[in-house]
Amino acid sequence: MEKILSKEKLREWVGKLDGCEVHAPAFADSVWNYAPVQTGGDIDLSHTNTVGSVKAFAFPQREVFFRFEQAKGGAPVLTATVPEPRPTVVFGVRPCDGRGMPRNDKVFSAEFKDPYYWARREKLTLVGLACNEPHSPNCFCQSVGGSPHSEEGLDVLMTDLGDRYHVKAITPKGAEAMERAGDAFNEAGAADQAEVERVHAESRQQPQRPIGDLAAIPEAIKQNFDSPVWAEMAQHCIGCGICTFLCPTCHCFDINDEATGANKGERVRTWDNCQFPDFTMHTSGHNPRHDLGARLRQRVSHKFLYFVENHKTQQCTGCGRCISECPVGIDIVAVLERVGQS
Amino acid sequence: MVKVEDIQQCAAGLLEKGQVKSVLGFRRGTAGAMAEPCTITEAAEAGTLVWDPTCLNNLALYLVKDRKQQAASKTPDIRPIGIVAKGCDSRAVAVLLQENYFKREEVFVIGVSCEGTGVIDPKKVATLLKGRSPSRVEFDGADGFKLTLRGGEMQVPAREILADRCLECRAASPALNDVVFGEPSGERGYATPFHAAKEALGASETERWAAWEHHFDRCLRCFACRSVCPMCYCPECVVDSTSFVIEPQTSAEEKANRIKWCERSPNTSESAVYHLTRAIHLAGRCVDCGECERVCPVNIPLRLLNTMLEMEAFEMFHYQAGHDLSQASLLSSFRDEDPNSFIR
Repeated sequence: MEKILSKEKLREWVGKLDGCEVHAPAFADSVWNYAPVQTGGDIDLSHTNTVGSVKAFAFPQREVFFRFEQAKGGAPVLTATVPEPRPTVVFGVRPCDGRGMPRNDKVFSAEFKDPYYWARREKLTLVGLACNEPHSPNCFCQSVGGSPHSEEGLDVLMTDLGDRYHVKAITPKGAEAMERAGDAFNEAGAADQAEVERVHAESRQQPQRPIGDLAAIPEAIKQNFDSPVWAEMAQHCIGCGICTFLCPTCHCFDINDEATGANKGERVRTWDNCQFPDFTMHTSGHNPRHDLGARLRQRVSHKFLYFVENHKTQQCTGCGRCISECPVGIDIVAVLERVGQS
Repeated sequence: MVKVEDIQQCAAGLLEKGQVKSVLGFRRGTAGAMAEPCTITEAAEAGTLVWDPTCLNNLALYLVKDRKQQAASKTPDIRPIGIVAKGCDSRAVAVLLQENYFKREEVFVIGVSCEGTGVIDPKKVATLLKGRSPSRVEFDGADGFKLTLRGGEMQVPAREILADRCLECRAASPALNDVVFGEPSGERGYATPFHAAKEALGASETERWAAWEHHFDRCLRCFACRSVCPMCYCPECVVDSTSFVIEPQTSAEEKANRIKWCERSPNTSESAVYHLTRAIHLAGRCVDCGECERVCPVNIPLRLLNTMLEMEAFEMFHYQAGHDLSQASLLSSFRDEDPNSFIR
């Protein structure tokens, strides 16, 4: 299903999504981030990319697994807390983030279907917005097999055609979201189709960060496992969690019990981070990723070697957040280039 | 105007004569318009050093990092390190010296006065450009910046995108130095000291708490603010359980009984504990380099928390962290004239 939506009717579409939670990018505190849209509220789709990725809608930074309580002398009582979210529609998802989701889906279902992730994921509809131009100097979606108008992982893809959007349903879920506001849309004519194709073709010509030979990277990483390059590239790393927390595909987590009262608590999953000192800390005190060089190698290897071996695709969609937001200029594209040369 | 060639020549000379093992400075990076930190060990590399208002980082952090590496090394190399330091960065070095983190002869401060500029605040640039980033930022030598964007250029008055700490700076020229480049005058007259903190204090307590609740709720607990702070050198951070040191001799009981003052969950209460504890630990030590606020990916105005305490240190004890190396540190000294009504 391909339709045309005039820009002033976007609000009408959102208004028809009653019963759904709607989120869209909003510029506040000097950053773009997803924020809930109030019923009948406006959506501003002039965003670059959101600082936080769309992964958090299925994999929130904090997820309660269950609650526990034990009265004195009594048996412990466990309460299940599998979420039952309302259908959620997210607007303005950039294609790089869209491509992140199928990668996360693999992780949360490959060996074990994670009930918490899927409870949220199944209720999630992602309405993407093609990037007519790169929103950051560090965009490299095309260098990792994507495109500024990739449909992968999205339920709907919108393309900005100036005064109107071209709106294409990619999945039945996407079509359903569009059908809610059937009247708001017009049929896409041949001229609209030609215009979309022109805009998409033009967007692919925009400059992006290049990665030489993507297919050669896994072998180059293997060859350089013990190379001093990692320590050198991580020389100024501060070991914070920005790169992985903002990443649309980083999915490592930690599980802790948190007390909520004298005899009760919650088992909680929170995002974890391969740059933190306890990430691979063994109980013996041995840490195989003992320094920042080894941790940079871990992050890059997971994305461009281990994930390729396990799931036949890179675990990086070229959003560029880890580069743009790094406080000390560590640049995954430059790291790959360097590793490829060594 | 500071000539970058002077800094380059100085660094090359130090390395050539073997006076330092390395020089911490700035170079052009690949990630965008901002300069990135670099460590050079050969005189021939000195030509890569840059100096401009995109040299944001406080490199004193890497003096701390080196010290930690040497402490863990079987063959420690404690030869001096050269460091390119702005006024605020040199104050950080001074506090580290006061706290005996390293010795004076182990650091060679290549001081650079910010003169009439200071550094830019990428957050202000983001606000101006609604999230877009320039590919280049240049100071025009007078009172403005030229931003190079996709498909055009833009002139911006300096005060619109200079970091708040630079607008409020009282000592743009490094007092602690072994050599200094640039004019000593640091007066810019853009804003009075503690201007932003005082302005924030104008709001009611309820409004302020609502604002901080909003900010703590947004915190990702990536610990970038702590990790980038040269004063946060504790090997174990009391409010970050991921930093707890486990060694072969750490017993099971010790591991089980570690107190977590702050859970990993990024919610209001835990993140409030994290940020407030950190602010208190920096009272009388924070030199207002603004790094914590700069690195925050969600732009929590952390500098306000710290300058608030610096304002108290200044108003109650006339103390300014890192301004005078001969001074004892605030928390380890007592003077008869210190206000002490609370113990009566």
